[in-house]
Amino acid sequence: MLRTRKPLVAALVALPLALAGCAGGGSGGGDSDDQTLTIWHYENDESAMGQAWAKAIEIFEDENPDVEVVVEKQTFEQIQKNAKIVLTGDDVPDVMEYNKGNATAGQLASQGLLSPLTDAATERGWDDKLSASLQTTATYDENGLMGSGEWYGVPNYGEFVGVYYNKDMFAQHGVAVPTTLAELETAMATFQAAGVTPLAEAGAEYPLGQLWYELVLANADQEFVDAYQLFDGEVDFQGPEMTKATETLADWIDKGYIASDSAALTAEDMGVSFINGTYPMMVSGSWWFGRLVEEMNADWGQFNFPGNTLQVGSSGNLWVVPTNADSKSLAEEFIDITLRPEVQNILGEAGGLPVAGDVSAITDERTRTLTQNFDDILAADGLAFYPDWPVAGYYDVIVSQLQSLVNQSKTPAEVLDGLSGPYEEGKADLLEG
Amino acid sequence: MATDTLTPSVDESPAGQVLRATRPDQRHRRGVARWFVLAAAGLFALLMLAPFVIMLLNAFKSPAEYSQDGPLSWPTHLYLDGVVAFWERVDFPQKLLNSIWISTAVAIGGTLLSLLNAYAIGVGRVKGRLWIIMLFLLANMLPQEALVYPLFTMAQQVGLSNSQWSVIIIFTVIQSAFGTYLLSSVLGTFPPALLEAAALDGASRWQILWKIVFPVVRPTLSVLMIFFFIWTWNEFFIPLVMLTTNDTQTIPIALASLQGDRMMDATTTNAGALVSLVPAVIFFLIFQRTLTRGVTAGAVK
Amino acid sequence: MSTVQTPTPPVERALPARSRRSRPRWVAYLPYLIPGALAFTVVILIPFGMNVYYSLFKWKGGLAPMKFVGLENYAALMGDEQFWTSFRNSIAMILAMVVVPTLIGLVLAAVLFDYLGRRFGGGVAAFLRATYYLPQILPVAVAGVLWNWILNSQTGALNVVLRSIGIDDPPNWLGSTSSALPTVMAVLVWVQIGYPVVIFMSALQRVDPELYEAAELDGAGWWRRFGAITMPQIRPETFVVVLTCTVAALKVFGPIYVLTRGGPESSTLVPSYYSYLNFFDKSKVGYGAAVATVLTLVIVVVALVILTLQARAERREEGGR
Repeated sequence: MLRTRKPLVAALVALPLALAGCAGGGSGGGDSDDQTLTIWHYENDESAMGQAWAKAIEIFEDENPDVEVVVEKQTFEQIQKNAKIVLTGDDVPDVMEYNKGNATAGQLASQGLLSPLTDAATERGWDDKLSASLQTTATYDENGLMGSGEWYGVPNYGEFVGVYYNKDMFAQHGVAVPTTLAELETAMATFQAAGVTPLAEAGAEYPLGQLWYELVLANADQEFVDAYQLFDGEVDFQGPEMTKATETLADWIDKGYIASDSAALTAEDMGVSFINGTYPMMVSGSWWFGRLVEEMNADWGQFNFPGNTLQVGSSGNLWVVPTNADSKSLAEEFIDITLRPEVQNILGEAGGLPVAGDVSAITDERTRTLTQNFDDILAADGLAFYPDWPVAGYYDVIVSQLQSLVNQSKTPAEVLDGLSGPYEEGKADLLEG
Repeated sequence: MATDTLTPSVDESPAGQVLRATRPDQRHRRGVARWFVLAAAGLFALLMLAPFVIMLLNAFKSPAEYSQDGPLSWPTHLYLDGVVAFWERVDFPQKLLNSIWISTAVAIGGTLLSLLNAYAIGVGRVKGRLWIIMLFLLANMLPQEALVYPLFTMAQQVGLSNSQWSVIIIFTVIQSAFGTYLLSSVLGTFPPALLEAAALDGASRWQILWKIVFPVVRPTLSVLMIFFFIWTWNEFFIPLVMLTTNDTQTIPIALASLQGDRMMDATTTNAGALVSLVPAVIFFLIFQRTLTRGVTAGAVK
Repeated sequence: MSTVQTPTPPVERALPARSRRSRPRWVAYLPYLIPGALAFTVVILIPFGMNVYYSLFKWKGGLAPMKFVGLENYAALMGDEQFWTSFRNSIAMILAMVVVPTLIGLVLAAVLFDYLGRRFGGGVAAFLRATYYLPQILPVAVAGVLWNWILNSQTGALNVVLRSIGIDDPPNWLGSTSSALPTVMAVLVWVQIGYPVVIFMSALQRVDPELYEAAELDGAGWWRRFGAITMPQIRPETFVVVLTCTVAALKVFGPIYVLTRGGPESSTLVPSYYSYLNFFDKSKVGYGAAVATVLTLVIVVVALVILTLQARAERREEGGR
């Protein structure tokens, strides 16, 4: 490539200085290589995204016959942990799938590793196609905070958390689909009385945190979410929204709605136990949909968390263009193709929750319900993202504190205390840059 | 077992050897106690193997069955689709080749480097050898996350980005730290008489290394080869950072592709791991035989 | 060990080396160290130096700007409770990865080699050794999945078995703060045992069988022979096993990551994992570098102690020869 081999010693001496001073060596503007488009992503070929993107690549190749498309299938771990390191080099892809949020895409953006896409977004009309709450995760400011600033990523699909339920077990115990939180608690009590623990959970990974956040959102409003996620205001961890949610959760644990030994269970454990009918309900995300279709024998369905306007969810992963990429305009063209109806509808058909698709075009009923549920949330601008997003490393804090709640070794107030400390620290870190 | 002209006379008279072989064996082959000990050792082995049994149970199970019946159930039929799909998706043969190449190169290179270092330290008794060993061991003591950023940047600078050679060089150094330590400890107790006699016969240091020292420490060298191969085979973190495209990556990275953001394909992970275990186990079994080709340093008599 | 009777040495050798040679004998061996030293500097020393350098900065990684803060990261470390917890847990790791496996490994290796090998043949010993070593060949990630399947409090094999024999409320192995650490320790013993067994068995190859026979003729039982002959003979390997297992215990990361992620409630947090969290999850590269540097220093000190003990033992033996 462009760099020549330097004598080792000189290179090593220059290194610390290079790292300290250099801020992005990208070519910016024109493509230095318009013969190849290199794409990195980590989705399964059979998944909704995999299928849709295969179509997008097909279309791209049709429209650009002299460009070679190279797809490198990566692993999630690789891109998540190493993007920071790998993108500083020369061997970077032109367009890459990356996780959304402050802690991930925001970090890369603030480090100057991503190329801004604002111009492309306005020219090609992406800002019209995507609804407001989806655009929040596409833009980041200089501190890596989402919600404002330049466009750095473009989502193709969405995701959200709802309640999966085992229809057979509901029928067996005469429980109706709840529409309010109170009804949900009654339903759980019915199961509990019959000796069935109602809710499958996992304390060692994300599910418990997401359930807790759903409960917070039940009492919160958009202002709260903006303060929590975008640092638009102060968050009172001992305030009514958080306290009520944590106390409710502690209450559910006490009543046995959640298994008392779920502190060490993983999301996999939770999913498997829901699939094999141990629990009638599971509060988790749209990413389980495909697997449930494949593996669940009992009749099942999905409903939005009852009573909430705000729901846990966000845009899906983003397409980002690294600063050091050498075919930026090709990358932008590819991204544009992924937003076209032909591609988006493939996503929809496969249950991938497209951002710009047509719900009525979906043939399978369950998939259509899921997608309609998602569209309803979008229409109400109800995506409130995820609880671990605001601050880097917050995921482990939430897991740890909520494990204390499940093990009943800390009171709700203590748990909230444990949550607020790292939040405030991380927020200060992020804001001072 | 290389005893040739340079070694001092050794009384390996046939009579002595035969005596040694038969007397204790005949005496020991009786007695009931030995069966109890064998049973205990066998039980212990079963305990060690229990997780592998579970692994076997789940490697060829369909995901639906795994979710419905749990990890402890017997599969009703042999399900190979998952592992076949995985095999093709990650281009397993290529990964296998990469892993074998890297692990073998490191095993050989690391052992060689260790031998050279240990020769100077253990036999040559260089001054300050305690500190030198300490320094080499630093390679093993550093947590890998501390090394990875600088190593990646350096590899970039010399044009070795996404090259398997960077991984080979890094691990040769890291593994040889252990090898240097083990070998120099062993060579530190090497009988000086053997060395002096050889020197008297006019052998140079280089000849002594290969004709006298090498044969005696072969079991230890075999151990090093085994360890280095297996340790490098399973290395995940540094290859993850240094190797960015599919054609250079190794098996552990391929296995990791089954673990997504929130979902994990448990049955295919088991099958893939099983397949990847096979070369490592084969390597172990081959080299384990050289371990038992007992060479006794006590041949000095 | 009796020394070979050498013929009258040439005049040169009879005089002390110093007066005849211009430099000591060991210098001639220095060239053998050159390849190792060179590779080591490039791959280890320089990155370590850079790591220490990074620890003096506040840095998010990648192309972000670096802010010099001197020793502030280290000062923050001293007051960081999680940091101290992680080192406390290291002691448990040392117990699980050094003390127990070394002791059991020694006995197992001797039993396999000395006792069973002689009575049932080398094949049996080799087979058993292979099974004990198998856990070491398994990638940590897969071992984590397997053990999770065994230790799962609801559906795991262990609790299923316990429930079937009447224990109604078996412990929540990995989920309760009181049992998580011991459970992780037990898994670590399972993983580690093969390593000392293999090393010690190769060490036992070096022991002169005649020593054993002589002792047997004198009427010494198996344990007596074990203590008086086996252990001193394989002393170098014992030190190596102790040192390397200790370093591994201080550095342990993989098993913690796959079994508990440092939980529940940070009860199984270890320094390496804490450093990793800072480097990658929290993007506090400077802080993570500081944790890594401190960890390295601790390891170096511990290793020095062990190495000094080893050198002293060696000197004592040399003097006795």
